[in-house]
Amino acid sequence: MAQGASYPYEHVAEIGGGAYGTVYKARDMESGKFVALKSVRVQTDQDGLPISTVREVALLKRLEQFDHPNVVRLMDVCATQRTDQETKVTLVFEHVDQDLKIYLERAPAPGLSPDRIKDLMQQLLCGLAFLHSNRVMHRDLKPENILVTSQGQVKLADFGLARIYSCHMALTPVVVTLWYRPPEVLLQSSYATPVDIWSTGCIFAEMFRRKPLFCGESEVNQLGKIFEVIGLPSEEDWPNDVTISRKNFPSLFPRPITDFVPEINEQGAELMLEMLTFDPFRRISALNALEHEYFKEEETQIPTGNDIERNDSQTPSVT
Amino acid sequence: MKLEDFLASAAAAGRTAGVERSLREGADVNCVNEFGRTPLQVMMMGNTTVARLLLSYGARPNVADQSTRTTPLHDAAREGFLDTVKVLVEFSADPRALDFHNRRPVDLAKESGHCDVVAFLEAL
Repeated sequence: MAQGASYPYEHVAEIGGGAYGTVYKARDMESGKFVALKSVRVQTDQDGLPISTVREVALLKRLEQFDHPNVVRLMDVCATQRTDQETKVTLVFEHVDQDLKIYLERAPAPGLSPDRIKDLMQQLLCGLAFLHSNRVMHRDLKPENILVTSQGQVKLADFGLARIYSCHMALTPVVVTLWYRPPEVLLQSSYATPVDIWSTGCIFAEMFRRKPLFCGESEVNQLGKIFEVIGLPSEEDWPNDVTISRKNFPSLFPRPITDFVPEINEQGAELMLEMLTFDPFRRISALNALEHEYFKEEETQIPTGNDIERNDSQTPSVT
Repeated sequence: MKLEDFLASAAAAGRTAGVERSLREGADVNCVNEFGRTPLQVMMMGNTTVARLLLSYGARPNVADQSTRTTPLHDAAREGFLDTVKVLVEFSADPRALDFHNRRPVDLAKESGHCDVVAFLEAL
C-alpha cells in the first residue's frame, strides 16, 4: 500500500509553531504509527548546509545508536532544498501520545504515589545522565516535553534542538520556559548542563504538587519567586557581570522545602534541594542524583501500603 | 488562525484548556483541518479528557483515516491508552472497524502487547 508515495510520512496535524519552524504530527505509512516531524529552515551557501547544523544532526544520530530507553527515537532525518539559499531539515521523531503534564492532570486525587514519582524521577534522570554524558544539554525541559508512554515509560523529547535552532537565531535568553528556568539563565550568566538539573528539580516538586513550583511572570519576578523558597543567595554567590542586581530583591532566608512540597520524604527533600541549588557549579549532577539515598530506600517502603506512615524510628540503619 | 485549526492543534498537542475554549466558542467539532482530519483523529490519545470533550460535543467516533482507514479506536488501542479506548467505546466507536490491512483495534493492541486493552475489547 501507499505505493508511489516517496515520502513515507503523512501529515495529520500541526502541533506547534515557532520562529524556527513547525512541528507536525504525522503518520508513518509503513508502520501506521504516529511520528513527530520537526523542521528547521537553514540558510545554505555553495558549500551546502552549515557545518554547525551538520555536526548537531550527526550528534543526534550518534546518540540514536545507543537506543536509550528514556529518550525518544530519532527515526529519520530528511533535507529538502527549498531555494538556493534555504534548505529545510526535518527530523523525524517517535511520537508518544502523552506527556507528563497530561499524566499529572489525569492522576486521580491525591495524585501520584511516592513510588510512582520515584520511578518517573529515576527514568527522567537516566535519560538526562545519558544526554549529559554525551555533551547534549536539553535547555528546555518542562512537563510538555517529558513524554510518558501508556506503560509508564519516560522518554525525553526536544533535546539537542535548541542548538540547531539557535544557529540561526542570535543566542536569545528564550531557551527555557520561564517557570523551569534556573537562576543563571534568568540572570544570563551561563548555560551548561546544570540548567537541566534545575528544571528537573522544579518538575520533581510539580509531581507532588500537581502545579508548578515557581510561576513567575518575568525574569525578575521569577527570580523573586525562587528566592522566596531558597532564600536570597549571598553576595559571593551572586554572579559577576550580570545586569540584574542582587539589591533588587529583599533579604530572605531559605524556607523548608516541605512548606511547598509537604508530601515529600526526608531523602526526597534533600535531593530536591541539591537540584534547586543557586550556584550551578554546586548543583548535583544527573549521575550523582541517581546515586542519591532517595533512590535506595525503595524496598523498605513497599510493604507499608498506601497510607504510608513515616517509620523513621524503625528504619534499620544500614551501613 | 481559524478556530477549527486552533481546535485541531490544541487537540493534537493535548491542551485541554485550548480544546475546551474553542469548543465553547463554537468551533465545529467535525471540521477537517488542512490535512483532512478531524480533531478526534489527531488528538493526543493519552489525554482522555480531550477525547471525552470532543465526543460530548458530538465528534463522530468512527471517522476513518483517508489513507489507512485507521479509526481513533485503532490508534488508542495501538498506543495502549485504556481510558481513552473506554471513552471511545462509550460513545459508540466500533470495535469491529477494519483498517487498510483488515485489522481490528484489538489486533493492534495485541501486536503492541497492551494486555489490558486486549482484555477490555475482547470482553465487549
